[in-house]
Amino acid sequence: MSTEDPLARAYANLRPKVLQRLLDMRATLDPSLGRLDEPTARAQISAVLEHLGNFLATGDLGSHRAFLQTFLAMRAAEAQGPAAVLAMLVAVGDTAAQVAQDELAGSTDGAELTLLLTRVTATTARAVNDLVAEELARRVGQWNELAMRERKGQSS
Amino acid sequence: MTTAQQGLRVAGDTNVGKVRTTNEDSMIVDPVRGLYVVLDGMGGANAGDVASQTARDAIKEFVMQRRLTMEPRALLEAAIQHGSATVFEAAQQSRERHGMGTTVVACYVVDPKRAVVAHVGDSRAYLLRNGRVQMLTRDHTIVEELVDRGLLSAEEAERHPYKNVLSRNLGAKPDARVDLVDVELKPGDRLMLCSDGLYGYASAEAIQYLLGSGDAPEHVARDLIDLALRGGGGDNVTTIVIEAPQPLPSSTQVVRTSGAIAWWQHRARFLQIARDRGLPKNPIVRGLDPEEALELVANSLCQAIFHDLEKSTGVNVWTFAQNIAGGWFERSGEWAPLRALMDILATSARAVVDEIGVADANLGFLLSVAVSRALVVAELAIGGLLADRLNRVDAELIKVHAAMQETILDGQIDTSQDSALEDTGDRFIDRPTVPFMRPDRPVSGPGVSSELIAAIEKTITIARGRTSPRAELVKQILASLETIAIDATGNFASAVIAAREIYGIRSVDDTGIMPLFDALDQARIITAASVHQISAPDAMRAKVLRALSGAHQRLVGATTGLVLEAVAPYSDRLREVQAKTGELRDAVAKSERKRADLERKWATTIDNSQPWEKRGTTEW
Repeated sequence: MSTEDPLARAYANLRPKVLQRLLDMRATLDPSLGRLDEPTARAQISAVLEHLGNFLATGDLGSHRAFLQTFLAMRAAEAQGPAAVLAMLVAVGDTAAQVAQDELAGSTDGAELTLLLTRVTATTARAVNDLVAEELARRVGQWNELAMRERKGQSS
Repeated sequence: MTTAQQGLRVAGDTNVGKVRTTNEDSMIVDPVRGLYVVLDGMGGANAGDVASQTARDAIKEFVMQRRLTMEPRALLEAAIQHGSATVFEAAQQSRERHGMGTTVVACYVVDPKRAVVAHVGDSRAYLLRNGRVQMLTRDHTIVEELVDRGLLSAEEAERHPYKNVLSRNLGAKPDARVDLVDVELKPGDRLMLCSDGLYGYASAEAIQYLLGSGDAPEHVARDLIDLALRGGGGDNVTTIVIEAPQPLPSSTQVVRTSGAIAWWQHRARFLQIARDRGLPKNPIVRGLDPEEALELVANSLCQAIFHDLEKSTGVNVWTFAQNIAGGWFERSGEWAPLRALMDILATSARAVVDEIGVADANLGFLLSVAVSRALVVAELAIGGLLADRLNRVDAELIKVHAAMQETILDGQIDTSQDSALEDTGDRFIDRPTVPFMRPDRPVSGPGVSSELIAAIEKTITIARGRTSPRAELVKQILASLETIAIDATGNFASAVIAAREIYGIRSVDDTGIMPLFDALDQARIITAASVHQISAPDAMRAKVLRALSGAHQRLVGATTGLVLEAVAPYSDRLREVQAKTGELRDAVAKSERKRADLERKWATTIDNSQPWEKRGTTEW
């Protein structure tokens, strides 16, 4: 998913517009974002957008996963479930692609960036699902262990 | 009188009306030069038509001669002033024509996106945009100017005996004062120029209705004239309708039509690619005949994507994904086969779209975006199911855990059991950490070469030099970044150690944890800038940037993990409160329903006690 400089630059130039559109529609993105005051929401969305820029520039899937893991954990600590986080991340990526398509209409960079952002969103959604599935497998393992302990306790 | 010049469609029409015998209106419809003018002459003994025609010819001549050397706005203003001077001169040469004059409203279309509108007198210009009409001109009448100066109210102006007396026209003086408006044309905009014979005999609503009807400009111009005639036709009436080029079909429209058709025409290819990529061998469709598997899965997705592209009803991608994943999870299926199946479907879809793109690049691009979005929707649907399962397992886990705690407290389990479990290497490890924060997973695969280590060290040395001597925390972070970046294992362990050191050297005081994250951000910026200062090939610099970016990400993740663990009790409490709030809401809703039932019963009882003729009228 590595990209040429012009696309990363084009994305960096678009970021303020993407941020503004996301701030305007944040209440529909995520209920918890909608409740936040604008500076806080701006900080949260900016973090995602900045990371998206890093991912576009480096294509480092490991870092991307690490970021998503941290992001899921932070939202979990705010009592936001992974489904809501996934919806928010997809909405952010989709909005970025939409802004690229609107703002850079007709240019080659615009088409490439739109497509790249759409695919990054797909990668993000898959990575989140992977993380949730791994977490699920871990919990199922724990549950099995606990159940086994309970059975052993009862039998003794 | 329609033209496709400049991508515009234009039509003009004029009529003497039902009362007058002479048409004193004139017009110019010149698509070659983009000049459109309506003039309404005045003056006795045939002088009105002479005035408007004289001005018309003078304006047209002026624009033809000067349009290549003058700026559009100045050109139109000068042309109208020239028209005024010409009419004035003509009026001086004959007693019968003395005092003749004309109004003018002119539009000079510079290009399909820009026009200049000028006017003198009470001929008007209207703009129709997105179905709404806006008047671009303000009548130059004595009454209007008194209203502008605040000497008359709008109501008084309506009843004023001089409401039609012009304060400005062409020909009264050698030079005329011209009002100009720049108009930025949008696709589909309509400009309409007219004399007072139109708006004096037709309502604003009817004009707006016809202008916004979507009919071709020549039909609109003719219908507007008919409208004025049906309204009495007491004056000459002239109108010109100019329509800016219609917008190109939006990408959504292209996807809904051509995109959906192209996708559907390639469905056999989609199935073939899915078969080649091994879809029938996937465990989810095990036991099914290969054709049946392709029909049930690949063809269903193909149809679902088609419905989504066309925005038609039918099983969409969300429902498809829920059906497939839901059924699989119900059978206690694992994530890996589902993931593999979705990969096969996604790569098959992309291959088909790429083939469509070879024939039509634009359609291929639009379909790539649309199909990718459809596949993201599938991931979203599956993600929802996974999250549901996670919640259910969590709830079960909490129950089992609580039951065990009670059993231990009751002394029913001998805790020495743990040692037995430990002996088998199967000891349960309860990690009450924040979900998703696991420090044991490598996040990058490849090791670190000695060249890369040297380049990282150089970068960090430069970064230290760029750091303020008092910024101890930033320096500490830089040192940690170096350690993490050159850690060949690439896992979270070094990041967690570093995070504990950093977290430990500062107190979390009233300023909160933000200074810590500010310092992390500063360190990131400094290292990014320092990478460009090392003498190394671009490829090596890119590697350094990537390594340090990854290290930074891990350090932030690990630090966040620590902070989150510190606040975990509060999060738990928050969850508990939220759960209790939910229960309270349910209880309130239940009470509300009960109250409504009681009220209904009460109303029925009272209603039934009324005489027959009054029943059913009890209000609540």
